[in-house]
Amino acid sequence: MENIKKKLKTAVVITSTIILSSHLMMKSTNAGVLENLERERASVIKHILDPELSPSERQKKIQSSKMRLIDLERIVLRDNKLKGRNTPTVRRAFNNYDLTFLLHAATEKNLTLTDGWLSQLGITTQSLMSAQIKRQSGEKM
Amino acid sequence: MSSTVNSLNTIKNYLPTTSDTLFKVTEKKEFKKEIIPSFKNSSLSCFSIALFAGILFLSQQTAAKQNSTIPEWRPQSSEKLVKLPSTYLKKSIESNFADSKLGIAIDAANEETRLKVLSLSDLKKAINQSNGEIKTELRHQLLAEKRAYVNIVSRKNKMRWKQLMTKQRLYERILNKLSQKNRALTPGKKILLEKQDEAKKRFNQTISTVDLKLFETASIPESAYSRKYSKNMTVINQLLEKVNNHRMNKAVQVDGQKLSKKEYIRKLLTDTQSEIAILEQEENILGYMAKLVALDALTLSEEALDAELADSDTPSDEGPAEAANLFIND
Repeated sequence: MENIKKKLKTAVVITSTIILSSHLMMKSTNAGVLENLERERASVIKHILDPELSPSERQKKIQSSKMRLIDLERIVLRDNKLKGRNTPTVRRAFNNYDLTFLLHAATEKNLTLTDGWLSQLGITTQSLMSAQIKRQSGEKM
Repeated sequence: MSSTVNSLNTIKNYLPTTSDTLFKVTEKKEFKKEIIPSFKNSSLSCFSIALFAGILFLSQQTAAKQNSTIPEWRPQSSEKLVKLPSTYLKKSIESNFADSKLGIAIDAANEETRLKVLSLSDLKKAINQSNGEIKTELRHQLLAEKRAYVNIVSRKNKMRWKQLMTKQRLYERILNKLSQKNRALTPGKKILLEKQDEAKKRFNQTISTVDLKLFETASIPESAYSRKYSKNMTVINQLLEKVNNHRMNKAVQVDGQKLSKKEYIRKLLTDTQSEIAILEQEENILGYMAKLVALDALTLSEEALDAELADSDTPSDEGPAEAANLFIND
């Protein structure tokens, strides 16, 4: 009887150790997912703005970035370790869903990646068409 | 003279060594008043009072020594316990205590108490069936056993006291940790959490539409992450369902009411405090028991003294009138 009691106690201790260790193990993994997303996003924007690229080259580059962006955006949105992590990077990222999760937000609104980003900056086709060309001094051409 | 010293020794033998129990009784002064006059009646009052005081002093020292040798119980850290499920928390603390030196010592004391109660009841039966000198001898033995019982229970109570106080401090620490966790929610963090919840909600609501739009043209193939994620999610959901329905993971229920972790720990704390209150009451009972043992010892010694005096050849304290006949009748 005494033996069974001892074994049960050991089992209890082992269980608690497993629960705690698994909890700790999860904490130390997968750091920097948000930073990776930021890097990929910066790279897409660079391709959008790069005047050296031809339209087809730009399209190719954006397309390959899109594949990585889909995964990275989902990884960040599903990452529970970012929950409540009150750092400037995390705060900034969640302050504007449409800018951070660029691809998802643009697809949601039936826009291309480029259009989605430009619309977030307030630049639309209409606004471009109605824009007046001015000199830097402010004089009309 | 020698018989008087013997009878005083009887008192010394039967006084419980842990006199603090005796002194915890509120009627401490009354006790002194009741015992001291009986000594005054005897011709050796000064000597007996000195002896009595000596016994009490010695027994107090013994009690102090016993206090310092109470085994330890160092429970698990409250940080770890906070993470455990409510149903498991109490069992984990109990198991930790049972393995500690204090737990083992209390178990041993319980067994000792049980055996002492058995020998006390045996002696009581034997006294009822005997008479004469054997009866007196058995009464002496019964007193000695009673004294031993009071000492054992007194020591056990000290250990239980230590256990309960440790447990109470532990529950208080866990409660503090839980409160700190909630207090840590600053306005900035609260806003961030709200935004993160909003983002997650929006993502979950639109993911199927986004998937349809992204993958319909087949220009973007489904990534390895996406494939494995959906596969793993199916398994995770199955496991989660099992975990949520597990007997040990159910919220604790008291009188049919589900309790949160904080409420449950508050309940455990209240239970511990009520146990402490009961222990204090038991200490009072023990004090009265010790007092009774001392009074029984005095009765026994007085009876022994009376019998001794009745048998002695000491001339009775009679006046000359009683001897007058010897002078009158030649």
